[in-house]
Amino acid sequence: MNEQLLCLKKINKFFDNSHILKDVTLDIRDGEFITLLGPSGCGKTTMLRCIAGLESIDSGDILLNGESIKDLAPNKRNVNTVFQNYALFPHLNVYDNIAYGPRIKKSVGEDEIKKRVTEMLELVRMQGYEKRMTDQMSGGQRQRIAIARALINKPDILLLDEPLGALDLKLRKYMQTELAQLQKQTKTTFIYVTHDQEEALNMSDRIVIINEGEVQQVGTPKDVYNNSGNLFVADFIGDRNIKNVEVLEQKDNFYKIKLGNNIINIKCDRSIVKCNKDNGMARAVLAIHMDKMKISYDEIPNSLYGEITFVHYAGSQIRTDVNVDGQSITVIEYQNDYDNYNIGDKVYVSWEETGALLLPEEDGGRGTIHEKN
Amino acid sequence: MKKIKQNLPALPILAYLIILVGIPLLLVVILSFLSRDNLGNIIFEFTLDNYKRMFDSVYLKVFLNSFLLAIFTGLITLFIGYPVAYFTAGLNQKTRSLVIMLIMLPFWISSLLRTYGWSILLGNDGLINNILMFLNIIDKPLNMMYKFGTVLTGTAYMLIPFMIISIYNSVDKLDRSLLEASYDLGGGKWKTFFNITLPLTMPGIARGFTLVFIPALGLYFISDLLGGGNNMFLGNLINNMATRGRNRPLASAFAIGMILLVLLVLFIYSRVTKNNKESLYQ
Repeated sequence: MNEQLLCLKKINKFFDNSHILKDVTLDIRDGEFITLLGPSGCGKTTMLRCIAGLESIDSGDILLNGESIKDLAPNKRNVNTVFQNYALFPHLNVYDNIAYGPRIKKSVGEDEIKKRVTEMLELVRMQGYEKRMTDQMSGGQRQRIAIARALINKPDILLLDEPLGALDLKLRKYMQTELAQLQKQTKTTFIYVTHDQEEALNMSDRIVIINEGEVQQVGTPKDVYNNSGNLFVADFIGDRNIKNVEVLEQKDNFYKIKLGNNIINIKCDRSIVKCNKDNGMARAVLAIHMDKMKISYDEIPNSLYGEITFVHYAGSQIRTDVNVDGQSITVIEYQNDYDNYNIGDKVYVSWEETGALLLPEEDGGRGTIHEKN
Repeated sequence: MKKIKQNLPALPILAYLIILVGIPLLLVVILSFLSRDNLGNIIFEFTLDNYKRMFDSVYLKVFLNSFLLAIFTGLITLFIGYPVAYFTAGLNQKTRSLVIMLIMLPFWISSLLRTYGWSILLGNDGLINNILMFLNIIDKPLNMMYKFGTVLTGTAYMLIPFMIISIYNSVDKLDRSLLEASYDLGGGKWKTFFNITLPLTMPGIARGFTLVFIPALGLYFISDLLGGGNNMFLGNLINNMATRGRNRPLASAFAIGMILLVLLVLFIYSRVTKNNKESLYQ
């Protein structure tokens, strides 16, 4: 399970003059569901295409089962792709689409192909659709055919390029569960590309967060969510209030910080912010999950005092903006006393200890990420 | 009333079609059932003789000759045009526009002049013969004029842009991710071409073939200039009947025969592209 199946070693990729992938190094284990997550244009799809062989790399190496595949053509690599728009062949029916791989490879006879296609259709629960043309199917159905077509060659790795992007919200949620189950069932390694953090958190064993062609953090969903390694990840994953603060004092994991005129004590497990001993002050960034915050009318120690400026009602959740000394802080609460909040109310804002992170102000150095137990 | 109002914008088109296509065609049909006197005047008397004469072996041979010319023109333009269209579609935007402009450029020059150009090239005292003789490769001029092949060359040259543009449109519309999917699933370049590219550009091939076949059947100045008297094609035949032969009813009947041949090809075309969303006039 923990055997390294695919190793990316210092991969660099340029398009014209722009540097798309910068020294990307990543180990992918056999049988895991790993997600490449990042904003659009961050290079995640390019990474996937480099693994598939649809793009060449300018430097570095890609090892599959310990052997370099960087110079192999895509048809010689034992990886298959589910394309963003599915790329089903419009002139072939479902059966012929799925049978395309083994037929073109001439690896097995028609009898074996028939057996395998039937197997695949069962796997994606599309039995009876053999004769359908691809334009006679819904997005979700085409999606499944695309997966069946890619899995029939029994690839070492299945690459999925934002496969749920074109589906509506309900179907997307449903397919998330189905994809995760499919992955466990087939024990195939999945490399999944998405810009949707919810998808990533929901399905993955591990998440790779990428920005501007660089790997920002690799970790389990829980890890990257709670213990973001740098400012970019903190900002990208989850909804956080991100505020500049001054660190007044530090003792082990306890910090005394100043936000506006509020002075508060917080605990932070990672000592990545160093206090400047000379004047006892350092600049840092406080990042707090909006949904781990609470509004209270009574005074609470270690809280921020401010005035409600806006209340958004959004179904299951209430978002409240609180102005704290000129800085706006957003609080998301699920159980609410919605009617009780009025614009102009003076309130105290507090948060759960695990909801807050203190990060260095400059985004230069990536903080060391401690595995949290 | 509402329906009339809705269709009002189509009125000019309808008028155009009736005046310039419908009425002339109707006249040709009527004419084809009439006969003429020795001076070429029309006699208003119903007859099927004109159609019967189509089945004379001499005339059947002309039909066959024209049919073969059109088929071969279609095939030659296809085999030369496909690679040109395929590689043009793969070029970058700037070069592509330039290449397409170059393909269309000959249309700016009168087709009659361009056909004369071929006789200057291919004639006994033409450029090619002169060069070959100058280089001592041959000592007698090669006889390249007034042959079936000469007419074929001229016709194919004249019509190849239609083939290239038709196929180009199909190749250009081809979703590149389908080719990537084929590579990804294990297909090499050639297998991908024959399994994906070719079937998906078939509508362009059928459209190009139709657009080349139909005019190739009827063009007569090319066979006049390059075919001499040795090769009779439908276009020349009808032209001769109507002008020198002063037999407009017979010419009309043959014209109708040619239209039927064209309709047959269009019917085959519609079968080929039945399951495809691309159409002839796209």
